[in-house]
Parts: sequence; structure tokens; C-alpha cells
Amino acid sequence: MLELIIETFILNRLGYGHSAEDIALLKEIGYEKYLEQQLNPDEADDPVLKEKLAEASFPMNMGRGKEVDKPLFLYEAPVKTLWVKEMEGPEFERRAERAVNEVMYVSLMRAVYSKWQLKEQLVAFWHNHFNVNVEADERIQLLFPLYDKVVRKHAFGNFRAFLEEVAKSPAMLYYLNNASSKASPANENFARELFELMTLGADHYLNHLYNRWREVPGAFEGKAEGYIDEDVYEAARAFTGWTVADGSEDERGGILPNTGEFYYFEGWHDNYQKRVLGVEFYPNEPAMADGRKVLDLVAYHPGTALHLCEKLCRRFVSDNPSEALIKQAADTWMKHQKSDNQIQEVMRTILLSQEFSDSLGKKLRNPLELFVAFWRAMGMEFKPNEEHSWFLYYMGYRHFRWPTPTGHPDVAEHWVNSFKMLTRWNLIPMLFEQEWEEHQGERLMAMIPTDAKSCHDIVYFWSFKILGNALPVDTHDKIVNYLAMGGVGTEPPFVKGQELEYIMLQVIAIIAMTPQFQYR
Amino acid sequence: MKGCTAGLALFASSQLKTFASMPWHTNDEGEIFVLVFLRGGCDGLGLVAPVDDKFYAGARTPSLRIASGGGQSGLAIKQSLTDADFRFHNRAGALHELYEDGQLALIHACGLTNGTRSHFEAMELIEKGLVKKENTAKGWLSRYLDQTEVKGTLPAIAAGGSMPLSFLGNNQAASLYGLTDYSLYSDPRALGILKSIYKEDKQLGPTALRTLETIQYLDKKGASKNYRPSSGANYPQGWHVEELSRSLKMLAQLIKMDVGVHVATVDYGGWDTHENQAYRFPNLVKGLSDAIGAFYTDVYSYNKRLTVVVMSEFGRRLRTNRSGGTDHGYGNVMMVLGGNVNGRNMYGKWPGLATEQLNNRVDLQVTTDYRAVLGEVLQQRLGVTDVGKVFPDFEMGDRLGFIS
Repeated sequence: MLELIIETFILNRLGYGHSAEDIALLKEIGYEKYLEQQLNPDEADDPVLKEKLAEASFPMNMGRGKEVDKPLFLYEAPVKTLWVKEMEGPEFERRAERAVNEVMYVSLMRAVYSKWQLKEQLVAFWHNHFNVNVEADERIQLLFPLYDKVVRKHAFGNFRAFLEEVAKSPAMLYYLNNASSKASPANENFARELFELMTLGADHYLNHLYNRWREVPGAFEGKAEGYIDEDVYEAARAFTGWTVADGSEDERGGILPNTGEFYYFEGWHDNYQKRVLGVEFYPNEPAMADGRKVLDLVAYHPGTALHLCEKLCRRFVSDNPSEALIKQAADTWMKHQKSDNQIQEVMRTILLSQEFSDSLGKKLRNPLELFVAFWRAMGMEFKPNEEHSWFLYYMGYRHFRWPTPTGHPDVAEHWVNSFKMLTRWNLIPMLFEQEWEEHQGERLMAMIPTDAKSCHDIVYFWSFKILGNALPVDTHDKIVNYLAMGGVGTEPPFVKGQELEYIMLQVIAIIAMTPQFQYR
Repeated sequence: MKGCTAGLALFASSQLKTFASMPWHTNDEGEIFVLVFLRGGCDGLGLVAPVDDKFYAGARTPSLRIASGGGQSGLAIKQSLTDADFRFHNRAGALHELYEDGQLALIHACGLTNGTRSHFEAMELIEKGLVKKENTAKGWLSRYLDQTEVKGTLPAIAAGGSMPLSFLGNNQAASLYGLTDYSLYSDPRALGILKSIYKEDKQLGPTALRTLETIQYLDKKGASKNYRPSSGANYPQGWHVEELSRSLKMLAQLIKMDVGVHVATVDYGGWDTHENQAYRFPNLVKGLSDAIGAFYTDVYSYNKRLTVVVMSEFGRRLRTNRSGGTDHGYGNVMMVLGGNVNGRNMYGKWPGLATEQLNNRVDLQVTTDYRAVLGEVLQQRLGVTDVGKVFPDFEMGDRLGFIS
């Protein structure tokens, strides 16, 4: 009976999946040193990824059914290159589609090839937390590379600073309609999701208990325990005027500038006095002061610490993290709320906890993790394409396209129902069918080391390659029987040639369908 | 029925585990209940409204209200609830026809008395059949199914790729996205191996086994690749209604396969129109109307056993905002459709749209608890005698009378 390799579990949890090199590194330097490295990623030091991105190219729709392979040209572009003055027409639509496709392409490449795996997991977490559905608006698509940069910049940083850049980002301004929010009545969408999803969370929504601000405990001292609808309304008023310079008309005969950047328009701002979470806002404050004050109130609220830490614990530890761990992480969060490396500190607390260690191997992989883990494990050449997005979609993962601001749920029940189970299982056979190239079968067979001769040896080989571990004995034996096709497990498989290649593919697929591969 | 017996044998063990005591209800009559949930907060006052009400006209910009005249005027309906001129949105032609035909009833000013304006909270409460947050891991349909002995192999269906919370805690529900692709792509021999591997797994086992059993069952039943809807029913195309059409068409096909469909859920998203409602809402209404119309035509021969309820998590604000949309509201319209519905009328109580009649002085009031509507369907059609077992702490009042 082989002992399980703990390094595999660590890598599966911190990142997207083990690789032989990472297992060796972890064994050499130990978990704590490895974690410190991952907590301090250096994007300049990522040679494999850089090489892949430099040679990346994929088809762009040029209209009239024509497609041309192009390298990445919008992903790193500054706003004045991305932005077009004419927000209509097929050329604009194609450009917008290309911009978001490049972000998707790079994001998948990073997940598979980057050495800074923890960063990639954390970036995915933040994209989900500050969910923006690119299908809501083509202007979001066009500017999505810039939104991605905001998320990547602040992933390990300071939450208050992160929050403001998200609030000012045109992608979010369009998505939650704040770009068109004018006094009065203001558009409530952004303000509501700011409280309910991005900061305090639904647990601190006290609407069923209190009707008026002064009834909320702590409100008189300016430390309201939670929020009610009145806070949402007032906050919505505070953010009026936070918009995008996209050449919109201001209804009084004027026109906004047209640069695609954040723009504060005083003409749409509701300047009068407000009250949010029991705190008074005076009338006629300077530009953007109201909105910034709301961000201060929500970002620094202890409820926000608890809500965000619960989500981080759910992502990195388990579906039901203990209150003790959440509180411990929240204490770190509050202690570092003015630090530049606030989120890094919180991650350190969470990832060094005993609960984290105890939870290894027990969290269900979401479809993206499943997909990337397979690519990383097999070491086959990965070039993202449209079919891959469809595979993810059928498994329930909508890459940058989750339709509601809540983002993907992060619990096992969401990902496992009869339909999604089936699509998970079908992923590998469908991938092989799609990626099948000439001599693929031979290449697969060539991966098997020459000293792995018997069916037993071969199944061990594939288990370690795909799972980074051995399978439970019963499962292992069943797969060996399958490979042996009626023969004996201690002998080499008696089928040969193309039939053997087919069976080998099935063995790989079945291993990827086992319960063991579904977890991290 | 050969397939049915084999199906029962497969599921005999799993069925025994689903009710702790003897079921007090058996679905012998083959009743079918379909719940269509409009996700995002459908603007009930944009779908069905009193066009001659001065508060309605005052609070809504012309493009966001149902008109009383002109080319886009609303479709007038007969009703004995109030004197007001209630009309359907101009593009709800099929729904209007079903209503006037006596197949569809409306209950306006329905909702969740909790008052939450949060999608997340409202949906969770409604799907769990509650008004107050409780630590329960059971959806209301699960509670219903717990008390019901169902025959047939696919009694509970979640159409689409997801499992709604209303089925939380239930092992029988199968989520189906489509019928013809419901098979394993790998070597068929893998099916047997997966079955024996997953039998041991506590977490994923039940779902995995259900999936494998459903695959085998549908394979045996032979779901046709070229399903032709009956009576020329025409499910609408287009990206904004594709999800609904696909789900309803698949349900129709399943119903006709006689696999024992008893309760089914369908989702139709996209209704959260904070902005640009004049552009988005009419398309959603037309999609909903045409898809429901097509479905009802398609399964018309089952209509005496069929009840469809259409609802949303809350309505939207009476007054339009300045982004050309409406924000989260409170009371909303619920629709009930079926061969036993006392259609061509509105039920419940219309509270009015004057400022003092509105909830918080801004939103349509709730005068009928959503559970009263669902409860009446449960009582009248699904043989439930104690609605309190499905909706804890809820007491049914007098019958509203929309269904026999």
C-alpha cells in the first residue's frame, strides 16, 4: 500500500494542480518556504508562460466569414488604443469580442503555465467576487483587459484601494449601471451590490429587523452593525456622477469627453446631505468625496472583514469553514486594513492554519480547476480555443460570463447535479476527440516508461501522472481489470496497436472520472 | 410498462430511503406541476397593470408603461376583481389568448412578505418555502416530495443545467439540459466501472449513481433526436429566449415519453432591468409569452393533468429611475396555467397604486403571500392536505379560487 503524496494535495489546493517539478520543489524546500514564495509572486520571473504568450496567436473574426490568426495585440493595450469613438457597428463588435477573447486566452494560459499558481487562484477568486459579466455590454468587452489589470494589480494588496479602483473601472460602471446613474432618482444597482456582495454581505442586511436607520444597533454612534435599504438608497445618491467618458449627452446640451476612462460628472451628482450606516454626509462636498466616504465606511466595516474572510476560507479551505478560522482571518484583515499587503497577510493566516492542513484533498474542484488540472497533469501542449470555453460552459463554468453579480457559487452542491456530473465525466473523452492529432496515440504510448510493463504498472503510472497519487486499491484493481481485458493484471496488456491506444485513452479518461480526481 | 418496471427495480432501494414514514400521498393521477421562475425580478407592473390609473401613468415614463391607446396599446382583459382597466403588455399575445380562453389566471400583488430587496435572499427564502431565514437544508419541493410516493423513473426534473434550491435535500431530482446528448462519451464499459467506484463515495455517490441510472434509462427509452412538437407548436428562437424554449421543449418531450414527470422547474433569467428597460423588457415578455404558449399547445392533450405556475422573486419599483429602468420592488404578479384553472380572471386583492397604498410609499404592496398561491395548487391538484408540512409555519387562509 503506497502512502499518499501530501505535496500533491498542497499543490492542488494552492494552485490548479500538481506538476512533477513543483512536487520536487516542495519536497526540497518544504511548505512554509514554498508558501512564502507563492505569496510574493514576481511576474517578471515566469519563463515558460512568457514564452508561450510570446508565441500565442489565435483566430480573429474579420467579418464576412473570414478569420485571421493574430497574436495578442489588445491584451496589453492602454485605454487610448483600446477605445474607439464609434460604439456601434460590426467593426466595433469584432474588436470588443477580440479584446475579451484575449483576456480569456491569457487567463487560461496563466492557469496552466504560470509558476505563480497561488496568484492565479486568487485572481480567479477576485474576478468572481467582483463579478462582471462581459455579455452584459460590448463596451465592457472592449475594456475588459483594463479590468483584468485592476484585479491582477490588487489581488494580494489593500482592499480599500482595490474597491475604489473597481468602483471606478468602466467595466463595473457599465455592468452595474452606475455609469448612467444620475440624480434623481439614482440607479440603485451598484450601491446594492456594493453592500450585499462586495463588502458587508447579505448576513449584515438587517432589513427584516429594522425599518429606519436609527433603529439599527450602533447607528447613533456611527457604527451601524449592518445595513438596511435606506443605506443602499443613500449610497446610490453618493455615487451619482461616477461615470465613463464615453461621449454621452448630459441632457442639458453638453457632451461628456470620449476617452473610455473613468470620469466624474458633477452635473449628475446628487450633492445634498446624506446618511449612510448612521454617519452624516454634509451637503456640497468636494468632487467624489461622498462616494469615497461610502467606500471607507463599507471597506473598513468589521462585517466586511468577516464576509470577505468567510469567502476566502470557503475558497481555500472548505465549503464550511469554522467560525474560529474566519474570525482569525478577520482579525488579520482588520489589523492590516491600511497596509499595502493586507490581503497577502490574510492569505498567510489562512494558509498556515491547522484547518487548512486538515482540509487538503476534500474540496470539490470547480470545472475550471478540473479542466486546468488535467492539462497540467498530462503536460500536453495547451492552446485555448472556443471549444474549451464550451466545455467549461457545459460543466457550469461561465468564464467571465456568470450572468448575475453574485459570481459562481463556491460549494459542492452547486457543481454536482446529474447534468453537471455527466459533463465532467465527458470532458476528457471530448477533449481527446477534439485535440486528437495524427500520432497522438503513439505520443501517449511513448509517455509510458519502458519499465512499466504490466497492467498494474501502467495504471500506477497514469494514476501518478494524472492524480499525483495512487488510487484506492479497489478502484485501481477495477481499472487494471479493464486494461487487462480478461487477461491478468501482472502481465502486459494483450491488446495491441490501435486497439491498445483506444483502451489506453479510456484508462486515462476513467482515472479522470474517479472521485479522487474531482477533489483538491 | 416494461421500461417502468425495470426503472422501479433500479430505484427501489433509493426510493425507500426518501421517506422516513409511510407517504400520505400518492400521485396516481399523473398530475404534472411545472414551476417557471423568472430570475432577476420581473417587472409585474410592466407585464400586467391598470392602464387608466393616474398614479401608474404619473410614475412611469411612456416607454415603461402599458399603454391605453396607440400602436403599442396593452391587451385588455376581463376581470371581476376591480373596476380598473387591466391590460397585458402589448407583446404578451399568447398569454393574453390563454387568459381569455380560460386557461390562465392572474394573481397580482403577490410576494414574499419578508420585504427583502435582495435577489439572493428573496430567492433563497422562496425556494426554501420560508419567510424568515432559517438554517434548513431543504427546498419546498423536496419537502413535498418527501411526503409523496411517486411512480415512474423521472419524477422530478430541473430543466436546464442547474439544480434550483427548491430541490435542495432531494435525491430524486435530475437536472437535464437536453435529452439526446445524455450519454457517456467513453467506452460503454466505463459505465459499469464508474457505478462500482462511485457506490462507495458518500459525497458524490448518490448524484453519480442517479446520473448513471438516468443515462441507462433514457437510452432504453430512446429519446428521439428529432422531436416534433405537437399541433404545430412553435417554440421561439433567439438568444434571449433560447434557454426557456429549450427547457420547455425538453420537458414536453419528457412528459410525452411517460417517464412519470411529476414536478419540474424551469428558469428564465435576465429580468433585472435596472437600466434600458424599454429595450430589454419587451423581448423578455415576448419570449416568455411565446414559449409558454408553444409549450401549452405542445402538451395540450395533457392539460387536464397539468398546472404551470410562473413567478419571480419580487416585482419592481412603481417609479422609473433615470437610467430608463426600474429598481427592486415588492409585490408582483403570479400566473397559473392549466386545464383546471379558473382562467379569464384576476384573484387576490388589488391594493392600489396611490402613495399611501404602496409599501414604503414606493412599491406595490403584497396582499397575497406567495405560499397561498403555491399552497392552493398543492391542495387542489397535488392532493396535499396539510400545506404546513410543505411550508413550515404557514397557515392557508380562504381559497382564492383560481384553480379547481
